[in-house]
Amino acid sequence: MSTPCRESELDALLAGELSAEDAERVSAHAATCATCTRALAWLRTERGWMAQRARRMPSRPALRFEALEAKLRPAPAPRQPRREHRGWVAMMGAAAAVAFMALSMAPRSHSTSHGAFASFSSEDAWSQGMVSIARVPACMDPSVEAVALVEASFGACLLASPARPLP
Amino acid sequence: MSPRRVSHLFAVRLPLVGGAPSAGDAERRLLTRARKGDPVAFRTLFEQHSPAVWRFLRDLFRDDAAADEATQETFVRAHGKLGALRDDARLASWLLGIARHIYLESRRTRGTHLDIASEENEPLLEASLPSPTPEELLLNREMEGLLAEALGELREERRSALLLRIDHGLAYEDIAQVMGWSLPKVKNEIHRARLQLRERLAGHVGNGGHS
Ligand SMILES: [Zn+2]
Repeated sequence: MSTPCRESELDALLAGELSAEDAERVSAHAATCATCTRALAWLRTERGWMAQRARRMPSRPALRFEALEAKLRPAPAPRQPRREHRGWVAMMGAAAAVAFMALSMAPRSHSTSHGAFASFSSEDAWSQGMVSIARVPACMDPSVEAVALVEASFGACLLASPARPLP
Repeated sequence: MSPRRVSHLFAVRLPLVGGAPSAGDAERRLLTRARKGDPVAFRTLFEQHSPAVWRFLRDLFRDDAAADEATQETFVRAHGKLGALRDDARLASWLLGIARHIYLESRRTRGTHLDIASEENEPLLEASLPSPTPEELLLNREMEGLLAEALGELREERRSALLLRIDHGLAYEDIAQVMGWSLPKVKNEIHRARLQLRERLAGHVGNGGHS
């Protein structure tokens, strides 16, 4: 994080995502750099525009809960994996975890950054997925590429319906 | 100007320590209740998050009715899979990820090919474009229309990544998750999207385009 004139840093500054030390460094640079000053003006304007646009969103009938309610099934109760599936589930979970970790390597990502999708390696979530695989596409990991690659490694559509044909 | 004074201009937020329970805590409690089958809790989560999910889907489909249907489908799936969300703090990005998946599925159903072209070289921060004046922070109807057009001209992946950042406020790491990209690619694509948007709008800002 030392190269000046990097827009993602200016953006992170406005979003309050930088450490105090980095914020000072980026701010000090931006104050003396015409390019960064212009970029900051754009970044602030974009934020303002998007906020105004969001507030002007039309009200939609589909956003009434009543419109959704009839489609909801009761939330699935937590359940133990079926005995005959246990070994397979654990094996698949482990294999998918390995595949997913390989797919999701990214510099500077901290330990919790994959947390929302950590169910990928959880036996519980997998066992739930097994029961309802046909009806629930890859909610666990919504990135199509990741899902398609994991599926390809098993040679079958086990996780999801990929948005792209498998190779 | 000293660095210390400068930093105040940008109103940098620092993490809060202690104090009152945050909105995040309230959402965690709602999620816990919703997982146990509490319909009121799920309804509250729906009401809090469905406008953003709908807006994201509307930006992808560019069609109100399609966004309606896909928003409902997003929450039907989320309802059935709440147990799969392991980090409650990432509910918003998880929902937007489901939403995008549903969008991609529908595109596949319609036989549309996805544009997966990708450029490798990161463009430099453009110095020559005029920048908006503080008055232009107010989004008038004309600019709103131009903005919608400019967003629509971005290819879908780039548009998604940009909106996840500038409209939905996701962290770059979370966008990497939703898009299935590396962190450098996320930054590169969002930067390119912004430059494309600015080039399109530059003629309409900064006192008529004079820099
Ligand atoms: Zn600079």
